[in-house]
Amino acid sequence: MEIFVLVKQVPDPEATVKIKTDTELEIENKYFTNFFDEIAIEEALRLKEKFGGKVTVLTADPKRVDALRRGISMGADEAIQIADPALEGSDPFAIARVLAAYLKDKPFDLILAGRQAMDDDSGIVGIALAEALNLPHVHSIIGLEVDISRKEAKVIREVENGKEHLICPLPALFTCQKGLNTPRIPLVMNVMKAMKAQIKKLDLVSLGIEASKVGSPAIQAKVIRYLPPPKRPPVKMIKEEFPDNVRTLVRLLREDAKVI
Amino acid sequence: MSNEIWVLAEHQDGKVKGITFELLSGGVEFSKKTGQKVAALLLGYGLEEATKGLLPFADKIYLLEHPLLSPYTSDAYESALLPLLKDHQPSIFLGGATSIGKDLFPRLAMRLETGYTPDCTELSVDEEGRLTAKRPLFGGKVFAEMVFSGARPQMATVRNHTFLIHENLGKSAEVLSLPIQLDPSSIKKKVIKVEKSPGERVDITEADIVVAAGRGIKGPENFKIIEELANVLNASVGTTRAVVDEGWRDLKDQIGKSGKNISARLYMAFGISGAIHHVLGIGTCKTIVAVDTDPNALIFNYADYGIVGDLFQIVPALTEELKKILASEG
Repeated sequence: MEIFVLVKQVPDPEATVKIKTDTELEIENKYFTNFFDEIAIEEALRLKEKFGGKVTVLTADPKRVDALRRGISMGADEAIQIADPALEGSDPFAIARVLAAYLKDKPFDLILAGRQAMDDDSGIVGIALAEALNLPHVHSIIGLEVDISRKEAKVIREVENGKEHLICPLPALFTCQKGLNTPRIPLVMNVMKAMKAQIKKLDLVSLGIEASKVGSPAIQAKVIRYLPPPKRPPVKMIKEEFPDNVRTLVRLLREDAKVI
Repeated sequence: MSNEIWVLAEHQDGKVKGITFELLSGGVEFSKKTGQKVAALLLGYGLEEATKGLLPFADKIYLLEHPLLSPYTSDAYESALLPLLKDHQPSIFLGGATSIGKDLFPRLAMRLETGYTPDCTELSVDEEGRLTAKRPLFGGKVFAEMVFSGARPQMATVRNHTFLIHENLGKSAEVLSLPIQLDPSSIKKKVIKVEKSPGERVDITEADIVVAAGRGIKGPENFKIIEELANVLNASVGTTRAVVDEGWRDLKDQIGKSGKNISARLYMAFGISGAIHHVLGIGTCKTIVAVDTDPNALIFNYADYGIVGDLFQIVPALTEELKKILASEG
């Protein structure tokens, strides 16, 4: 199977994010490979181990390639970075257009991506890429079984209070959710090797994309202001002894918060 | 241009989902400012009951009925909706930040080359019908206020409980049944089975009240006291990543960064220390109660009411107290 995996390096959940100006953030330099992308890489590797073929990790992040190296250290065969200064400030749809421009004439059976990137949490790029490539997609999968001879996949996706079982013809794009697998921890030796692995770099000209199709000129929904999370009033600690504290809590929930 | 506010209706077993009523209530509120009509887009097959449910909540119902539209697939919905969206160019198109909205809207927005803001927690309009959307980034550490360029529709998916349902909107919708042609070959994926989770409870993202326990519950068998409290409150049961990783509860109940974001009216956390992964998922809950034995537990920083105490003592007492009070009210 020929599989492409979309990956991205994102701020660690522990990283602090500060509002620098209305439209500028200051993010602590503490990054990791997007949690859901690692699940996508793992799934691709398992399919390769079963059916043979090749796994390529792909990012459109012009700055960080660590997610590609993570992919290589886990066992991916090739790493590609689409890097162009014009990509700075692109929205997810522009990233999807760029990825589509690269993938449109490549042979592949499957594209895997994470359910969402843990930075803007949009969950757009993968699905929009499927639209651009005219591929079926299944979002937020927690089960995958490929039938190579029929060129189709049995997929399970998470929905509200249940699971949806689907059959989807290949090629297709699936976004991966926790529960699909547990990503392997790469061997130290492979991490060392991945540090030196060749990363193929492509710019927008080589993909035939005009700069006006990406970056801030192409944005249809733009941030006018960053805001801190809504502030809660300070916590009211109920300090009475048991069981009076329970009665007070119930009273406060009914009379003060009016939620019961 | 139709200059309308559209809401994608979601329904299950004939019943319209709460999120749809919420969005229509929000849409009607907007329309008071903009003078626009509010329309529900109802897709599926066998829609009589859902249509009836929607009548008091919108000016119009666009009805798209076809066997291939049931059950939902993005393929079929997209094929049905794209020509309509291109024709009518509504001003605003809203959906739930649900397994349907988040699945479908990115495809539509990509094709229509229009703006889309996912997973919003606040929306407002000005007199000209320009939408401002607020949405959490980095799991809720920061929020972004976003506006749209000239392209229409302005598309957004919105979290449960962002708008209140208004029961008396004074509407009686005009039902417009639209002709629909679907090419079966355009529908590539097929739903073969929908497996419902056991039990009666609604999903934690949809629940009004969520009660949850963390590792402080000490074992999967002890969740029964949380379940009993949930029964009294008609709540759903959530949990933390640590508990799911232990295998004590199903992944679908996990709240937080690698799980689900909830916006419950009341959230009660028992034996949850308040790791950043978890609290990022509860930021938009209205009222938060925390009970933990550790007075320094981080969860208290995010709570409205806190008790330092043993959940094994407090939860059963709370259940009994609520039972008494709710019973006396009949």
